[in-house]
Amino acid sequence: MLDLTTGFLLTVLSGTALAAYVCSAAGVFVVRMGLTAIGFTMSHAAFAGAAFALWAGVEPVAGALAFAVTTALALGPLAERARLRAEVMLGFLFSLLMALGFMFLAMLPGEAASGVALRIVWGSVFSVGRYDVLYLVALACALLTFDLAFRKELMAVLFDRRLATASGVDARAFTYAILVLTGLAVALSLRLVGGLLVFALIINPASTALQFLDDMKRVLWAAPAVGLATSLGGLLLSLAWDLPVGSAIIIVSALVLAAAIVVSPRRRRAPVPPVAT
Amino acid sequence: MADAVVLEGVAVVYEGERTPAIRDVDLRVAHGEHVVVVGPNGSGKTTLLEAINGMLPATAGRVTVLGMDVASEGGRVRARVGYVLQDVQADPMDPFLARDVVMMGRAGRIGVLRWPRREDQEAVDRSIAAMGLSQLAGRPVGKLSGGELQRLMLARAMAQGPDVMLLDEPLAHLDVDARAHARAALEGWRAAAGATVVEVSHDLGGVPATADRIVVLEEGRVVMDGPRDAVLASDRLRATFPQWGALRA
Repeated sequence: MLDLTTGFLLTVLSGTALAAYVCSAAGVFVVRMGLTAIGFTMSHAAFAGAAFALWAGVEPVAGALAFAVTTALALGPLAERARLRAEVMLGFLFSLLMALGFMFLAMLPGEAASGVALRIVWGSVFSVGRYDVLYLVALACALLTFDLAFRKELMAVLFDRRLATASGVDARAFTYAILVLTGLAVALSLRLVGGLLVFALIINPASTALQFLDDMKRVLWAAPAVGLATSLGGLLLSLAWDLPVGSAIIIVSALVLAAAIVVSPRRRRAPVPPVAT
Repeated sequence: MADAVVLEGVAVVYEGERTPAIRDVDLRVAHGEHVVVVGPNGSGKTTLLEAINGMLPATAGRVTVLGMDVASEGGRVRARVGYVLQDVQADPMDPFLARDVVMMGRAGRIGVLRWPRREDQEAVDRSIAAMGLSQLAGRPVGKLSGGELQRLMLARAMAQGPDVMLLDEPLAHLDVDARAHARAALEGWRAAAGATVVEVSHDLGGVPATADRIVVLEEGRVVMDGPRDAVLASDRLRATFPQWGALRA
């Protein structure tokens, strides 16, 4: 077991809890609105951005933020106009961003840089600093305010964007806001969970909550609760057995989701869709 | 008083298409009037409704609703215009309660950064009761039948408290009894609210007796526009609906 100081442990615990909250709160929107492909691409854009920043000698979080938010703003209109199908995004942009990320990491000079690079790929508790926690606090407050202030509009957009627009809600503006907030959540969680795994922190808690709850109002608080529990569980496993923190968190959340799918009362009640012939 | 809905030389061309879905449409609907737009499949009826509420931008011409230019004030217009879509489907796993879906209809009317108040809750409950769905208000929408979901969409639009209601085949999925109940509820609401209704139907038999006017669309153009009974009795209607002519004969 690692020997850690109280200050460091508090930083890591709060960083993990906040990353879990922002990712799983954004995840409810991503999962429900079918933005998974865009979110997945954004997480890899954040990874490529962080690698680029390392190569350029800039703060990795700044690079991750710039790439993720730019991707969100660029992909939103493209997806909206149905010019870019989800599989095209995954096949083209995902591989391109991964290639760029690994290329920038390969171009880093020196042995010391390889450790930093690996932390961007897999995440590490040792990467999380006080400023990361402060950024995450700011984003968590922004997400909470966004949710509470625009709850009725968000409910309408989550149910059906077209119907929301018909009722006078600016569904496009809310969709873009959700994409940008998701990009920020991905970028700011990168250090802890790593560029390859952060998206699972977005998808898994929301998907787990949706296995049990019929009421979106409850899903909106249950998903962050699941994210918090699985992330802290993963962190404790990581600290106890000296495992990569990102991997430990994602394995725990994936196991919880798998169990939820198996025991889901909602899934048992739902009729099986017909098989396409 | 100015008309509630005014279309002047309106055309809509879908992206990537060359032929307009509707063209040269001039239409005026007075406050409190009930106009039914009929036409065969693909004649541009739904396009016309979505040009009125601004969900589809007019490629040519001008649309004015309640004195507002739809092109520049689409959001404000839609907050005061109810719209029941032709085909709304719910997934069995959709995590939304029926009552919450009806409340969503009022989101634009309540306004940004405002919470639903008592009057909003009452409007929602009234609409749900009018559509005979009070027992189902707490049920997830994924568990409603197609007919119940359609009545829920009508309740949602009525709860919005619109000045203009756009109805796209609103009773298509309902059985005879449910259709009669929903039609009576709609008429009761319209009489009380004094709202303007523009309704679309591909079926002349579905034109309600309470309609004031019938507009016939054919290949995106208005080919007839007149009082209900006069249009239904017209020989011109046979060209658009040959079966209707046969039925009348």
